Amino acid sequence: MFRVFPLLYSYIIYTFCGCLAMYLIYWLDPQMYPSVYWIYFLIGILAEFMVLVEISDQIFRPLPAIRNLGRALTIVISAALGLIYMLPVVLWSPGRRPALLGFALRASVTKAIILAVLFYVARHYGSRLGRNIGGLMLGFSIFVAMNVAVYAGANAFGSELFAPTLWVMGPLAFALCALVWTISLWELAPLPSMNTISTAPGRDSDAVALELTRFNSELSKLLHK
Amino acid sequence: MITLIYAAIAIAFLILVLGLLRKTLSHEPDECVTDSYSPPSTANGRWLHLSERIFDPTDARWLAEELGFPKLANALIIDRKRLAIRWLEALQAAFDDLVRTPEISPSEAPKAGSVGSWQMLWLTFRFKISISYALLAVKVFGPYHRLIPSFSWVPFSRRSERSFRRPALANSRSSH
Repeated sequence: MFRVFPLLYSYIIYTFCGCLAMYLIYWLDPQMYPSVYWIYFLIGILAEFMVLVEISDQIFRPLPAIRNLGRALTIVISAALGLIYMLPVVLWSPGRRPALLGFALRASVTKAIILAVLFYVARHYGSRLGRNIGGLMLGFSIFVAMNVAVYAGANAFGSELFAPTLWVMGPLAFALCALVWTISLWELAPLPSMNTISTAPGRDSDAVALELTRFNSELSKLLHK
Repeated sequence: MITLIYAAIAIAFLILVLGLLRKTLSHEPDECVTDSYSPPSTANGRWLHLSERIFDPTDARWLAEELGFPKLANALIIDRKRLAIRWLEALQAAFDDLVRTPEISPSEAPKAGSVGSWQMLWLTFRFKISISYALLAVKVFGPYHRLIPSFSWVPFSRRSERSFRRPALANSRSSH
Protein backbone atom coordinates (compact mmCIF):
# COMPACT_ATOMS: atom_id res chain seq x y z
CA MET A 1 0.00 0.00 0.00
CA PHE A 2 2.90 2.36 0.77
CA ARG A 3 4.20 1.89 -2.80
CA VAL A 4 0.84 3.01 -4.25
CA PHE A 5 0.39 6.05 -1.98
CA PRO A 6 3.86 7.10 -0.75
CA LEU A 7 2.95 10.79 -0.32
CA LEU A 8 -0.24 9.99 1.57
CA TYR A 9 1.57 7.82 4.11
CA SER A 10 4.40 10.36 4.38
CA TYR A 11 1.78 13.04 5.08
CA ILE A 12 0.11 10.93 7.80
CA ILE A 13 3.50 10.23 9.43
CA TYR A 14 4.41 13.95 9.15
CA THR A 15 1.13 14.97 10.81
CA PHE A 16 1.44 12.54 13.73
CA CYS A 17 5.14 13.28 14.32
CA GLY A 18 4.50 17.02 13.87
CA CYS A 19 1.71 16.91 16.44
CA LEU A 20 3.94 15.21 18.99
CA ALA A 21 6.76 17.69 18.26
CA MET A 22 4.34 20.60 18.73
CA TYR A 23 3.30 19.31 22.16
CA LEU A 24 6.97 18.93 23.12
CA ILE A 25 7.82 22.47 21.96
CA TYR A 26 4.75 23.87 23.76
CA TRP A 27 5.90 22.16 26.94
CA LEU A 28 9.61 22.97 26.64
CA ASP A 29 9.64 26.43 24.99
CA PRO A 30 6.22 28.17 24.80
CA GLN A 31 7.83 31.35 23.37
CA MET A 32 8.96 29.54 20.26
CA TYR A 33 5.71 27.61 19.81
CA PRO A 34 3.67 30.11 17.63
CA SER A 35 6.38 30.52 14.97
CA VAL A 36 7.11 26.79 14.77
CA TYR A 37 3.40 25.98 14.69
CA TRP A 38 2.73 28.26 11.68
CA ILE A 39 5.66 26.76 9.76
CA TYR A 40 4.38 23.25 10.51
CA PHE A 41 0.87 24.36 9.51
CA LEU A 42 1.95 25.87 6.14
CA ILE A 43 4.05 22.82 5.23
CA GLY A 44 0.97 20.71 6.08
CA ILE A 45 -1.17 22.71 3.64
CA LEU A 46 1.38 22.22 0.85
CA ALA A 47 1.62 18.51 1.68
CA GLU A 48 -2.18 18.22 1.43
CA PHE A 49 -2.02 19.54 -2.14
CA MET A 50 0.62 16.92 -2.97
CA VAL A 51 -1.60 14.19 -1.48
CA LEU A 52 -4.45 15.47 -3.62
CA VAL A 53 -2.23 15.15 -6.72
CA GLU A 54 -1.38 11.57 -5.70
CA ILE A 55 -5.03 10.63 -5.20
CA SER A 56 -6.07 12.30 -8.46
CA ASP A 57 -3.42 10.25 -10.33
CA GLN A 58 -5.28 7.07 -9.42
CA ILE A 59 -8.76 8.15 -10.51
CA PHE A 60 -8.33 7.77 -14.28
CA ARG A 61 -5.53 5.17 -14.21
CA PRO A 62 -7.45 2.52 -16.20
CA LEU A 63 -8.34 5.00 -18.97
CA PRO A 64 -5.19 5.61 -21.08
CA ALA A 65 -6.55 8.62 -23.00
CA ILE A 66 -7.12 10.67 -19.85
CA ARG A 67 -4.71 9.00 -17.43
CA ASN A 68 -3.21 12.39 -16.46
CA LEU A 69 -6.48 14.30 -16.38
CA GLY A 70 -6.75 14.16 -12.57
CA ARG A 71 -3.23 15.50 -12.10
CA ALA A 72 -3.73 18.20 -14.76
CA LEU A 73 -7.00 19.38 -13.20
CA THR A 74 -5.49 19.47 -9.71
CA ILE A 75 -2.43 21.45 -10.81
CA VAL A 76 -4.33 23.89 -13.06
CA ILE A 77 -7.04 24.64 -10.47
CA SER A 78 -4.46 24.97 -7.67
CA ALA A 79 -2.29 27.33 -9.73
CA ALA A 80 -5.20 29.44 -10.97
CA LEU A 81 -6.91 29.80 -7.59
CA GLY A 82 -3.53 30.19 -5.88
CA LEU A 83 -2.86 33.27 -7.97
CA ILE A 84 -6.27 34.91 -8.02
CA TYR A 85 -7.81 33.74 -4.73
CA MET A 86 -5.15 32.68 -2.20
CA LEU A 87 -2.28 35.06 -2.92
CA PRO A 88 -4.23 38.34 -2.44
CA VAL A 89 -5.18 37.46 1.14
CA VAL A 90 -1.51 36.85 1.98
CA LEU A 91 -0.39 40.09 0.34
CA TRP A 92 -3.10 42.45 1.59
CA SER A 93 -4.03 41.22 5.07
CA PRO A 94 -3.50 43.64 8.01
CA GLY A 95 -1.36 41.26 10.07
CA ARG A 96 0.37 37.88 10.08
CA ARG A 97 -2.37 35.99 11.91
CA PRO A 98 -5.33 37.09 9.72
CA ALA A 99 -3.15 36.45 6.66
CA LEU A 100 -2.39 32.89 7.75
CA LEU A 101 -5.99 32.13 8.77
CA GLY A 102 -7.31 33.65 5.53
CA PHE A 103 -4.78 31.64 3.54
CA ALA A 104 -5.81 28.43 5.36
CA LEU A 105 -9.50 29.12 4.67
CA ARG A 106 -8.94 29.84 0.99
CA ALA A 107 -6.63 26.83 0.59
CA SER A 108 -9.39 24.64 2.05
CA VAL A 109 -11.98 26.12 -0.32
CA THR A 110 -9.58 25.49 -3.24
CA LYS A 111 -9.17 21.85 -2.15
CA ALA A 112 -12.96 21.50 -1.91
CA ILE A 113 -13.33 22.85 -5.46
CA ILE A 114 -10.65 20.44 -6.75
CA LEU A 115 -12.37 17.47 -5.06
CA ALA A 116 -15.80 18.44 -6.42
CA VAL A 117 -14.39 18.81 -9.96
CA LEU A 118 -12.57 15.45 -9.70
CA PHE A 119 -15.74 13.70 -8.51
CA TYR A 120 -17.77 15.27 -11.30
CA VAL A 121 -15.27 14.46 -14.08
CA ALA A 122 -14.85 10.88 -12.77
CA ARG A 123 -18.60 10.45 -12.97
CA HIS A 124 -18.77 12.05 -16.42
CA TYR A 125 -16.23 9.60 -17.85
CA GLY A 126 -17.75 6.63 -16.00
CA SER A 127 -14.56 6.01 -14.01
CA ARG A 128 -15.40 3.71 -11.08
CA LEU A 129 -13.42 4.89 -8.06
CA GLY A 130 -13.28 1.69 -6.06
CA ARG A 131 -13.13 1.38 -2.29
CA ASN A 132 -9.59 2.72 -1.80
CA ILE A 133 -9.78 5.87 -3.93
CA GLY A 134 -13.44 6.57 -3.07
CA GLY A 135 -12.64 6.30 0.65
CA LEU A 136 -9.58 8.52 0.35
CA MET A 137 -11.57 11.19 -1.45
CA LEU A 138 -14.45 10.97 1.02
CA GLY A 139 -12.10 11.26 4.00
CA PHE A 140 -10.35 14.22 2.45
CA SER A 141 -13.71 15.84 1.67
CA ILE A 142 -14.86 15.55 5.31
CA PHE A 143 -11.55 17.03 6.46
CA VAL A 144 -11.74 19.90 3.97
CA ALA A 145 -15.42 20.67 4.69
CA MET A 146 -14.79 20.81 8.45
CA ASN A 147 -11.74 23.01 7.89
CA VAL A 148 -13.74 25.44 5.73
CA ALA A 149 -16.37 25.85 8.48
CA VAL A 150 -13.77 26.12 11.28
CA TYR A 151 -11.48 28.63 9.51
CA ALA A 152 -14.46 30.72 8.43
CA GLY A 153 -15.50 30.90 12.10
CA ALA A 154 -11.94 31.77 13.14
CA ASN A 155 -11.79 34.52 10.51
CA ALA A 156 -15.14 35.98 11.53
CA PHE A 157 -14.90 35.82 15.34
CA GLY A 158 -11.16 36.38 15.69
CA SER A 159 -8.59 33.78 16.60
CA GLU A 160 -8.57 34.65 20.34
CA LEU A 161 -12.30 33.99 20.74
CA PHE A 162 -12.26 31.02 18.42
CA ALA A 163 -9.00 29.47 19.66
CA PRO A 164 -10.62 26.84 21.97
CA THR A 165 -12.91 25.66 19.14
CA LEU A 166 -9.98 25.60 16.72
CA TRP A 167 -7.99 23.64 19.29
CA VAL A 168 -10.63 20.86 19.31
CA MET A 169 -12.11 20.99 15.80
CA GLY A 170 -8.78 20.91 13.90
CA PRO A 171 -7.58 17.60 15.37
CA LEU A 172 -11.17 16.23 15.29
CA ALA A 173 -11.39 16.89 11.52
CA PHE A 174 -8.10 15.09 10.96
CA ALA A 175 -9.12 12.21 13.25
CA LEU A 176 -12.36 11.72 11.29
CA CYS A 177 -10.46 11.85 8.02
CA ALA A 178 -7.88 9.34 9.31
CA LEU A 179 -10.71 7.02 10.43
CA VAL A 180 -12.31 7.01 6.96
CA TRP A 181 -8.89 6.50 5.37
CA THR A 182 -8.12 3.59 7.70
CA ILE A 183 -11.41 1.85 6.89
CA SER A 184 -11.06 2.38 3.13
CA LEU A 185 -7.38 1.39 3.00
CA TRP A 186 -7.72 -1.58 5.36
CA GLU A 187 -7.07 -3.87 2.42
CA LEU A 188 -5.88 -3.12 -1.09
CA ALA A 189 -9.03 -3.32 -3.22
CA PRO A 190 -8.30 -3.93 -6.90
CA LEU A 191 -9.73 -1.47 -9.37
CA PRO A 192 -13.25 -2.39 -10.52
CA SER A 193 -13.30 -4.99 -13.28
CA MET A 194 -13.25 -3.85 -16.90
CA ASN A 195 -16.92 -4.50 -17.61
CA THR A 196 -17.94 -2.23 -14.75
CA ILE A 197 -15.72 0.58 -16.00
CA SER A 198 -16.99 0.70 -19.55
CA THR A 199 -19.03 -1.21 -22.05
CA ALA A 200 -16.28 -0.56 -24.63
CA PRO A 201 -13.83 -3.42 -25.20
CA GLY A 202 -10.36 -2.87 -23.76
CA ARG A 203 -7.47 -1.74 -25.95
CA ASP A 204 -3.81 -1.24 -25.41
CA SER A 205 -2.41 2.23 -24.92
CA ASP A 206 -0.82 2.50 -28.40
CA ALA A 207 -4.09 1.62 -30.14
CA VAL A 208 -5.89 4.33 -28.17
CA ALA A 209 -3.16 6.87 -29.05
CA LEU A 210 -3.47 5.97 -32.74
CA GLU A 211 -7.24 6.32 -32.65
CA LEU A 212 -6.97 9.70 -30.85
CA THR A 213 -4.65 10.92 -33.62
CA ARG A 214 -7.10 9.71 -36.28
CA PHE A 215 -9.99 11.54 -34.66
CA ASN A 216 -7.94 14.75 -34.51
CA SER A 217 -6.79 14.48 -38.11
CA GLU A 218 -10.37 13.84 -39.34
CA LEU A 219 -11.58 16.92 -37.49
CA SER A 220 -8.63 19.02 -38.68
CA LYS A 221 -9.43 18.05 -42.30
CA LEU A 222 -12.98 19.26 -41.77
CA LEU A 223 -11.88 22.51 -40.12
CA HIS A 224 -9.40 23.32 -42.90
CA LYS A 225 -11.93 22.79 -45.72
CA MET B 1 -22.80 36.38 7.80
CA ILE B 2 -19.67 35.31 5.90
CA THR B 3 -19.27 32.40 8.36
CA LEU B 4 -22.79 31.22 7.58
CA ILE B 5 -22.04 31.36 3.85
CA TYR B 6 -18.88 29.30 4.30
CA ALA B 7 -20.71 26.83 6.57
CA ALA B 8 -23.39 26.46 3.88
CA ILE B 9 -20.65 25.93 1.28
CA ALA B 10 -19.10 23.20 3.47
CA ILE B 11 -22.45 21.41 3.95
CA ALA B 12 -23.39 21.72 0.27
CA PHE B 13 -19.95 20.38 -0.68
CA LEU B 14 -20.35 17.33 1.56
CA ILE B 15 -23.84 16.60 0.18
CA LEU B 16 -22.51 16.93 -3.38
CA VAL B 17 -19.55 14.66 -2.64
CA LEU B 18 -21.75 11.99 -1.05
CA GLY B 19 -24.15 12.10 -4.00
CA LEU B 20 -21.37 11.84 -6.59
CA LEU B 21 -19.51 9.20 -4.58
CA ARG B 22 -22.61 6.99 -4.39
CA LYS B 23 -22.89 7.06 -8.18
CA THR B 24 -19.18 6.52 -8.88
CA LEU B 25 -18.92 3.64 -6.39
CA SER B 26 -22.06 1.83 -7.56
CA HIS B 27 -21.47 -1.01 -9.97
CA GLU B 28 -24.47 -0.18 -12.10
CA PRO B 29 -23.27 0.98 -15.52
CA ASP B 30 -23.70 4.69 -16.12
CA GLU B 31 -26.58 5.90 -18.26
CA CYS B 32 -24.20 7.74 -20.55
CA VAL B 33 -22.15 4.60 -21.10
CA THR B 34 -24.90 2.06 -21.65
CA ASP B 35 -26.77 3.85 -24.35
CA SER B 36 -28.27 1.49 -26.89
CA TYR B 37 -26.93 3.82 -29.58
CA SER B 38 -23.41 2.82 -30.59
CA PRO B 39 -21.43 5.69 -32.10
CA PRO B 40 -19.54 5.04 -35.33
CA SER B 41 -15.74 4.80 -35.46
CA THR B 42 -13.22 6.61 -37.65
CA ALA B 43 -12.44 3.27 -39.30
CA ASN B 44 -15.90 3.36 -40.88
CA GLY B 45 -15.15 4.82 -44.31
CA ARG B 46 -18.80 5.22 -45.35
CA TRP B 47 -19.57 7.26 -42.28
CA LEU B 48 -16.57 9.54 -42.92
CA HIS B 49 -17.53 9.87 -46.58
CA LEU B 50 -20.93 11.11 -45.39
CA SER B 51 -19.27 14.19 -43.89
CA GLU B 52 -17.87 15.14 -47.31
CA ARG B 53 -21.41 15.08 -48.72
CA ILE B 54 -22.88 17.02 -45.79
CA PHE B 55 -20.26 19.78 -45.82
CA ASP B 56 -20.08 20.06 -49.63
CA PRO B 57 -21.94 23.19 -50.87
CA THR B 58 -22.04 22.08 -54.56
CA ASP B 59 -25.62 20.68 -54.44
CA ALA B 60 -27.06 23.84 -52.86
CA ARG B 61 -25.18 26.06 -55.31
CA TRP B 62 -26.34 23.96 -58.27
CA LEU B 63 -29.97 24.25 -57.10
CA ALA B 64 -29.76 28.00 -56.53
CA GLU B 65 -27.56 29.16 -59.40
CA GLU B 66 -27.94 26.67 -62.26
CA LEU B 67 -31.52 25.45 -61.76
CA GLY B 68 -32.79 28.69 -60.21
CA PHE B 69 -34.55 27.30 -57.13
CA PRO B 70 -33.29 29.51 -54.28
CA LYS B 71 -36.05 28.44 -51.86
CA LEU B 72 -35.30 24.78 -52.44
CA ALA B 73 -31.59 25.53 -51.99
CA ASN B 74 -32.35 27.23 -48.65
CA ALA B 75 -34.39 24.22 -47.50
CA LEU B 76 -31.49 21.97 -48.45
CA ILE B 77 -29.04 24.17 -46.49
CA ILE B 78 -31.26 24.02 -43.38
CA ASP B 79 -31.53 20.25 -43.69
CA ARG B 80 -27.75 19.91 -44.21
CA LYS B 81 -27.12 22.11 -41.17
CA ARG B 82 -29.22 19.75 -39.04
CA LEU B 83 -27.34 16.78 -40.47
CA ALA B 84 -23.97 18.48 -39.92
CA ILE B 85 -24.80 19.08 -36.25
CA ARG B 86 -25.90 15.45 -35.84
CA TRP B 87 -22.73 14.25 -37.59
CA LEU B 88 -20.49 16.35 -35.32
CA GLU B 89 -22.38 15.18 -32.22
CA ALA B 90 -21.98 11.57 -33.35
CA LEU B 91 -18.24 12.18 -33.84
CA GLN B 92 -18.08 13.60 -30.32
CA ALA B 93 -19.97 10.60 -28.92
CA ALA B 94 -17.60 8.23 -30.72
CA PHE B 95 -14.65 10.13 -29.27
CA ASP B 96 -16.10 10.02 -25.74
CA ASP B 97 -16.55 6.28 -26.16
CA LEU B 98 -12.88 6.00 -27.10
CA VAL B 99 -11.86 8.09 -24.08
CA ARG B 100 -13.84 5.72 -21.84
CA THR B 101 -11.99 2.71 -23.27
CA PRO B 102 -10.08 0.95 -20.48
CA GLU B 103 -6.63 -0.48 -20.99
CA ILE B 104 -6.34 -4.23 -21.57
CA SER B 105 -3.93 -4.75 -18.67
CA PRO B 106 -4.60 -1.97 -16.16
CA SER B 107 -2.34 -3.58 -13.55
CA GLU B 108 0.64 -3.03 -15.85
CA ALA B 109 -0.45 0.46 -16.88
CA PRO B 110 2.33 3.05 -16.83
CA LYS B 111 2.18 5.53 -13.98
CA ALA B 112 0.50 8.86 -14.50
CA GLY B 113 2.97 11.52 -15.54
CA SER B 114 4.63 9.65 -18.41
CA VAL B 115 5.24 11.60 -21.64
CA GLY B 116 2.90 9.39 -23.69
CA SER B 117 0.04 9.96 -21.23
CA TRP B 118 0.50 13.74 -21.43
CA GLN B 119 0.46 13.59 -25.25
CA MET B 120 -2.76 11.59 -25.21
CA LEU B 121 -4.30 14.05 -22.78
CA TRP B 122 -3.28 16.90 -25.11
CA LEU B 123 -4.91 15.12 -28.08
CA THR B 124 -8.09 14.65 -26.05
CA PHE B 125 -8.11 18.30 -24.99
CA ARG B 126 -7.38 19.51 -28.54
CA PHE B 127 -10.22 17.43 -29.97
CA LYS B 128 -12.67 18.70 -27.35
CA ILE B 129 -11.78 22.33 -28.12
CA SER B 130 -11.94 21.79 -31.90
CA ILE B 131 -15.26 19.94 -31.85
CA SER B 132 -16.84 22.57 -29.59
CA TYR B 133 -15.66 25.29 -31.96
CA ALA B 134 -16.88 23.36 -35.04
CA LEU B 135 -20.32 22.79 -33.46
CA LEU B 136 -20.59 26.46 -32.54
CA ALA B 137 -19.53 27.59 -36.02
CA VAL B 138 -22.01 25.23 -37.74
CA LYS B 139 -24.86 26.24 -35.42
CA VAL B 140 -24.19 29.97 -35.92
CA PHE B 141 -23.04 30.18 -39.55
CA GLY B 142 -24.26 26.93 -41.11
CA PRO B 143 -22.39 23.99 -42.69
CA TYR B 144 -20.98 25.85 -45.70
CA HIS B 145 -19.19 28.61 -43.87
CA ARG B 146 -15.41 28.35 -43.61
CA LEU B 147 -14.66 26.98 -40.16
CA ILE B 148 -11.20 28.59 -40.07
CA PRO B 149 -11.27 32.27 -41.09
CA SER B 150 -9.84 33.02 -44.50
CA PHE B 151 -6.84 35.32 -44.85
CA SER B 152 -7.49 35.97 -48.54
CA TRP B 153 -7.69 39.73 -47.87
CA VAL B 154 -3.96 39.69 -47.15
CA PRO B 155 -2.29 40.38 -50.58
CA PHE B 156 0.66 37.99 -50.29
CA SER B 157 -1.45 35.15 -48.87
CA ARG B 158 -3.89 35.43 -51.81
CA ARG B 159 -1.02 35.01 -54.27
CA SER B 160 0.48 32.07 -52.41
CA GLU B 161 -2.94 30.44 -52.00
CA ARG B 162 -3.58 30.70 -55.74
CA SER B 163 -0.25 29.14 -56.58
CA PHE B 164 -0.97 26.38 -54.05
CA ARG B 165 -4.47 25.67 -55.34
CA ARG B 166 -3.77 25.66 -59.09
CA PRO B 167 -2.16 22.20 -59.27
CA ALA B 168 -4.85 20.80 -56.98
CA LEU B 169 -7.61 22.15 -59.23
CA ALA B 170 -5.88 20.77 -62.32
CA ASN B 171 -5.66 17.37 -60.67
CA SER B 172 -9.31 17.36 -59.69
CA ARG B 173 -10.40 18.35 -63.24
CA SER B 174 -8.28 15.65 -64.83
CA SER B 175 -9.75 13.04 -62.47
CA HIS B 176 -13.31 13.97 -63.57
